[in-house]
Amino acid sequence: MSVHRVAAITRRLLQGFRRDRRTVALLFVAPIVILGLLGYLMRGSSVPAVGVINQDQGPLGAVVADSLQHSSLVSASAISVTDGDSKLKDGSLVAYVVFPPGFSQSAQSRVIAPEVHVEGTQPSAVAPVLAALQQALASAASRAPGAIRFAPKVTYLYAGAGLDSLDYFGAAAIGLIVFFLVFVITIVSFLNERSQGTLERLMASPLRRGEIVLGYMIGFTVLALIQAVEVLVFCLGVLKVHNDGNVFLIFLIEALMAIVAVNLGIFLSMFARTEFQAVQFIPLVIVPQFLLSGILFPVSSEPSLLQPVSNVLPLTYAVNALRDVMLKGADLSSSSLLLDIGVVTGFVVLLIAAGTATLRRRIA
Amino acid sequence: MSESFAVDVQGVEKRFGGIKALDGVTLQVRKGEIYGLLGPNGAGKTTLIRAIVGLVAPDAGTVTVLGRKLPNLDVLRDVGYMTQQAALYPGLSVEENLRFFAAIYGVEDGVQAALELVDLDKRKDSVVATISGGMRQRCSLAVALVHRPHLLLLDEPTVGVDPQLRVQFWDYFRRMADSGTTIIVSSHVMDEAERCQRLGLIQYGRLLAEGSPADIRAQAGTQNLEAAFLALAGEKEA
Repeated sequence: MSVHRVAAITRRLLQGFRRDRRTVALLFVAPIVILGLLGYLMRGSSVPAVGVINQDQGPLGAVVADSLQHSSLVSASAISVTDGDSKLKDGSLVAYVVFPPGFSQSAQSRVIAPEVHVEGTQPSAVAPVLAALQQALASAASRAPGAIRFAPKVTYLYAGAGLDSLDYFGAAAIGLIVFFLVFVITIVSFLNERSQGTLERLMASPLRRGEIVLGYMIGFTVLALIQAVEVLVFCLGVLKVHNDGNVFLIFLIEALMAIVAVNLGIFLSMFARTEFQAVQFIPLVIVPQFLLSGILFPVSSEPSLLQPVSNVLPLTYAVNALRDVMLKGADLSSSSLLLDIGVVTGFVVLLIAAGTATLRRRIA
Repeated sequence: MSESFAVDVQGVEKRFGGIKALDGVTLQVRKGEIYGLLGPNGAGKTTLIRAIVGLVAPDAGTVTVLGRKLPNLDVLRDVGYMTQQAALYPGLSVEENLRFFAAIYGVEDGVQAALELVDLDKRKDSVVATISGGMRQRCSLAVALVHRPHLLLLDEPTVGVDPQLRVQFWDYFRRMADSGTTIIVSSHVMDEAERCQRLGLIQYGRLLAEGSPADIRAQAGTQNLEAAFLALAGEKEA
């Protein structure tokens, strides 16, 4: 083994990187951006919003409610009796707690039974609410002698107690997987089309730019839909991911996501000269979308600085729409679903225009 | 007046950043002739060909192709273009590549004739990624002429092609010209230049001299084209 030859390889490698500033920048900037984002999301995210309805005729309800409002686990505030379900529906509350009229009385019999109403699509949101409630009760109960049993009655607005984390993430993952894979395939194919010279040849033919973009779009959408069928069958049939909605609606959303991904790929392929650089778009385009689209952390609980960013990402709307359909059983009469689908469609139009514009040449 | 010319280039200029790739080129190519663009690497041959096929928009001057002034999308139906690099889809077979480009031009019946012209009929099912460089070059030529263009633009078609195949290529070009196709071919190989009816010598984005190989030799007062080219190029530089 020759040290000289090994050193030559090492040197050659580093010399190449010196000229590829973009790769170097990415190598050192991307980890900070991604970790920073993750840290900000996890530490800066607000605690779940919980409503409190106190109907207790005795004193205990008020004591527990007050203690709950001082809890660091949730952000609790008093709401009126009629507001509960509508606030769960519009997403401004994760849960609300009701202390029924006989709450103090039942505590006398050593059983504390508050009603907990949760939105239900996000299983992980229930735990902190119950923990906060238990803490609040414990501090109130410490004044009462003897053991008291904590027996909350949990009611789910959507889905139910059977929902687990896979149901919550699986619904979103269906959109993410299609988006991610279609994006990668398109950007690499289109880059090949440029680098192997066939795009030049197509440009010298009577083809119109729109025809190229449309042809690509249909081709990859066909592939993506076959993939979507597979993903869906696997998720629903094998993994038994919860679905209350119409399978065709899920398809529609997936198809829209595929079209967004195809056009994003065509558009971004213009900014990459090599496949290597194309792959670099993954940490830049995919990872932030993954973190900010509400897949892991609900957009409403994100730090307020990040929420506007989330609101301009197509994946945010797709994830929301998929969860609406699969976990809440939303159909086309739901205005929230229509809004999501409308926004994703808007992204499709925008990206088709951007993708077409990057295929510049002298003749139309 | 431009009706009699297949290509009429008038005072075309093109800059890329600070570099003048084309510096006022004027030339006319007659219908049915083989016109050779001769010049060293970086002289502007490729840029000129790309301007004729509409891929480069001149900063000044006009390009008229087959009687139609560019930009014009329809005229491209009658133009064939072979790039330096054999631009093909490596994952498709020879025939599939041809069928694809034929479909783009809407002339699917030309595939068999194109395969036969470049002698790839027997290898039509081979996947492009697996065939030799020479075969790829032949396939690339077949793609450029599958739609039976009236004007064929060939950008250094014989680079990296062995002498045997080169002779074959020129035989194809001859046959096409005989059937009425106008051919513009760029090269920096002088013995190829002898086979053209007319030549344009390009250097630094300018047309140095134009005429038949015999004219060029006479102009420079030399015995062969290579010497003529060097003499003419040196003269302008001085």
